Amino acid sequence: MDPVFLAQDCINGVLMGLIYGLVALGLTLIFGVLKVINFAHGSFLMVGMYVAYWAVTLSGLSPYPALVIIVPAMFLFGYWVQHLLIRPIFIAEKNVREPITVIIVTTGLWYVLDNLALLVFGPDYRALNPNPLKGQMLEMGEIIVSVPKLYGALATLATAGGLHLFLQHTRLGRAVRATSLDREAASLMGIGQWKIFNIAFGIGTAVAGISGAVLTPFYNVYPTVGIPFDIKSFVIVVLGGLGSIWGALVGGVIIGLIESIGPNFMTSTWTEGIVYALFLLVLFVKPSGLFGQKQDW
Amino acid sequence: MKRSHLLSAVLTLCLAVPALAFAAPSVKVGNILPLSGPSASVGLQAKQAREMAIEEINGAGGIKSLGGAKIELLYADSKSDPNVGVTEAERFINTEKVHLLAGAWNSGVTYPTTAVAERYGIPYIVPVSVRDTITERGFKNVFRIAAKDSWWTRDQFTFLKDMQQEFGGTLSTVAFVYENGDWGTGFAAQWKELVKSSGMQVVLDEPYSSSATDLTPLVNKIRRAKPDVLLLVSNAADAILLTNTLADYKVSPKVILGSGGGHADPTFISACGANARYVFDIVEWETDVNKPGAREANEKYRAKYGTNLTGEAVDAYVAMYVMADALERAGSLDPAAIRKALAETDYKSGPGMIVTYDAIKFDESGQNRNAALSIVQINDLGKGLERITVWPKAARRAGYTPVFPMPAK
Amino acid sequence: MTQQEFKRNCLIAVTLAAFALPLVVRSATYLHILIILYLYAYMTTTWNLVGGFAGVLPLGHSVFVGIGAYTSTILWLQYGISPWIGMLVGAVLAAGVGYLIGKPTLKMRGAYFALSTMAFVEGIRVMVENIDMLGPLKLNGPRGLNIPPLQMGEGSFWAFQFSSKEPYYYIILTMLVAVLAMTSAISRSKMGYYLKSGGEDPDAAQALGVNVARYKVAAMVISSFLTALAGTFLAQLTLFIYPKSVLTLDLSFELAFIALIGGRGSIAGPIIGALLLRPVTEFSRIYFSATLPGLHLIILGVVLIVVMLYQPRGLTEPLLRIFDKVAARFAPALPDTPDTPDTPDTPDSPDSPNSPDSPNLPDTPDAPAGPDTQGTPAAPGATASASPREERP
Repeated sequence: MDPVFLAQDCINGVLMGLIYGLVALGLTLIFGVLKVINFAHGSFLMVGMYVAYWAVTLSGLSPYPALVIIVPAMFLFGYWVQHLLIRPIFIAEKNVREPITVIIVTTGLWYVLDNLALLVFGPDYRALNPNPLKGQMLEMGEIIVSVPKLYGALATLATAGGLHLFLQHTRLGRAVRATSLDREAASLMGIGQWKIFNIAFGIGTAVAGISGAVLTPFYNVYPTVGIPFDIKSFVIVVLGGLGSIWGALVGGVIIGLIESIGPNFMTSTWTEGIVYALFLLVLFVKPSGLFGQKQDW
Repeated sequence: MKRSHLLSAVLTLCLAVPALAFAAPSVKVGNILPLSGPSASVGLQAKQAREMAIEEINGAGGIKSLGGAKIELLYADSKSDPNVGVTEAERFINTEKVHLLAGAWNSGVTYPTTAVAERYGIPYIVPVSVRDTITERGFKNVFRIAAKDSWWTRDQFTFLKDMQQEFGGTLSTVAFVYENGDWGTGFAAQWKELVKSSGMQVVLDEPYSSSATDLTPLVNKIRRAKPDVLLLVSNAADAILLTNTLADYKVSPKVILGSGGGHADPTFISACGANARYVFDIVEWETDVNKPGAREANEKYRAKYGTNLTGEAVDAYVAMYVMADALERAGSLDPAAIRKALAETDYKSGPGMIVTYDAIKFDESGQNRNAALSIVQINDLGKGLERITVWPKAARRAGYTPVFPMPAK
Repeated sequence: MTQQEFKRNCLIAVTLAAFALPLVVRSATYLHILIILYLYAYMTTTWNLVGGFAGVLPLGHSVFVGIGAYTSTILWLQYGISPWIGMLVGAVLAAGVGYLIGKPTLKMRGAYFALSTMAFVEGIRVMVENIDMLGPLKLNGPRGLNIPPLQMGEGSFWAFQFSSKEPYYYIILTMLVAVLAMTSAISRSKMGYYLKSGGEDPDAAQALGVNVARYKVAAMVISSFLTALAGTFLAQLTLFIYPKSVLTLDLSFELAFIALIGGRGSIAGPIIGALLLRPVTEFSRIYFSATLPGLHLIILGVVLIVVMLYQPRGLTEPLLRIFDKVAARFAPALPDTPDTPDTPDTPDSPDSPNSPDSPNLPDTPDAPAGPDTQGTPAAPGATASASPREERP
């Protein structure tokens, strides 16, 4: 294989993989604390993309400055979803560590959100306008790098770094970590479990909002846009280890590289199969994922 | 007390609504369309076009031979799922007692639902679904307006040959890139046969998933294969993403030729902008067609729904007129009589006759034997990007010279 | 008549009524809707063997539906083998696949199991979509397979195709009743207890020397076998299958929805879930899909959320409590009360009231008859092992 091609594919794979990682980041964060899989995560991404779309369309800002609107809006959205929908189930099923009913509730939420978007915005494919990043490419000889993706990858690293700092070095962050490790003990130590759950869910949703802002410059917005990212995120978080921030990024990059380099050796539809095969392999060999801690449940 | 009032109000409403529906004599037409899910966009267009036609037909006095009977359209959402489609077809026929069925856009849904209609002997008009075999099962009750996929692919190759003859230059290599569903793989199978006698060499044969989150790897593969011709079958979201990514990576074959669907979606041009320029697409109808009434119909549709008529919407629109014509001649709501009238259709002129060809006539299999296709190029002639008919040459927009080959990026 | 007998008679009456229904319901549409309803109830019941009793959340049961559908269809189209035989072949194949999937995954817990079963469906769908010919077998990739319908008005048992809806109705109803009887037997067997104890608290069960994993795998194998039978039925009903119709996550999810709405791990759960959820799905689609696209799925989503919020254990428990009240009114609690002259059934019912195999429908904690069962079920225990499901002997 031509080394130039390989370099090109690696660059694209890493950039896109980091963006996948960003999408998965919100999911893994929520899982880390609440120990539930949020099946509506793709829909949160979709909501994030619509919020980004409208924030840009109405304010005329470019998507990255619009984050000052997107992030708080999405945080509040996630905060209240957890407070109103997820918390009551935890209360009702107190003795269950990981209530399966939550999966069903989040799936219900997914149906509601996707189809609400269809009802309100119609099935149209919307492209960002104005879109200052559209079609911007860095050319280095044969190698072409997409600028919006580069920004997206940088935003991913910044978000992950920020989250890392927050979790390690702030009081609230430590409370979140304590709750994720042992929620009963954390409660005993005076950490309000529900509040932490709300905040973790809010942060996870806000990260989905950032992903939305990152994607809109090169991706269309439509009601079912979250679904393909949804399943990909599940694969990524398991690959990297449920609950691990850096694991999500590494998992994302692995998927990105498979998708990017794989088509040189097979039709691109088969790479999807490779991704699932790898996923199952990791599950069987090291179920806690590449970076996951052994869970206490 | 309050609750019981509410309850009785609801009950009255429930009872009253069906009663109202029965008050006027009407022809019931069951439409099965993808109204939610990934294909919701095309389902909506099909629905709007039908409604516009039926409004016109009913407004003009309905079906006169049936005492001015009005046509009533019923809709069912297939969600692009054949199992749901079959359930809905059963319901339309048995419970709603529809006189005709129309649908279902997705070949995968049309295929089994036409079988249901055939079993009950209810005429089924297929405006769009292109899969060849839909009309090749010896069914008596299936009537398709659109061209079938072997005609689409045939015309794509004829177009390529004609363009080379007209403008010189040779197209020696071709890449097939298609969505990996029923539709794309069906087209690709035909292409692989047609290419043998075309003198072109296949440098890439690549299915891809319409729900792929990143098409850059695919685009890089196309870039490296350096085809002269890029033949595409794409749904809406992926057509937009693919076109933009191709432009981003400066992939410039001599010809990019789409197969309708995503490339014909009304949002394709607005979402791609200049990246869509010079792309060719095969369609059944275009707004610049030289046919009386076509422009007016498009203006009206645009005013009503905000987008231009697409080839698929026109098929749906015309289908309603063909149906009204058959009902007029049948003068009866007996399915056999409607079927017979449909089979004898020779619809040449009339308000809805805005298609490019002269008459709608079905062969024994129920296929519209005249269904013709044309090829358009997307270009900007100073009034923003638009779709301009270029082929067949006789139908080419006056004064337009196709840009062939596409200028390199 | 005792409460037990009353309940059993009710059960028999409902079953007989279901069999007699086509005599009254002449509309093929309603029969079709009922057929689909039974089909979903059937698939959910088989799903429940793993998802309910074994306490995990499988989200990949459409794999088995797909295997059943594809196997019988390929055998019929290419070799002319009756779908009835293909049905069994497919079921055996599915059982094998179920073993292969279950063996490694059932050791995992919660989220991991759910996600890995999803990955199996998606992986197999990708494979089928990419393969036109699997050796001599024509899968036809994404285009799928269609079964040519017999001539109009013809039906053939051998071809598993009928001109009217009634045969399909009776076939699926028989399958449903059989599988219900089977699950009820399993739930009362040793395997059932072990499964449930494993589902409630795997560690405690393990500590007691129960090889939970083995029973779970066995449940998975039985479940996949039975689910595949439904796949063949579905293929013969629609006469057209393709990867996106039978190998989808949507179908897998819907089974989980029905089970959870009804009540996981309860025998009546899938029936009640299907009875409640299918009509919501069908009718909201019929009435709203044209005017307000997507509203029917919003309704479905809201129903799921509301039920999970207010009845996280499903709707079967509260409904059966109401039924218990009704039973208590019609049949006094004491088995030998003298004031039941208007119940001629009493003499000819041989079962003793608390006989272990009396077909008491619910697998709920309030199974022993008595006036005090109208109360709430025992609150979820403070320790995980004292959960209400384990109160049985």
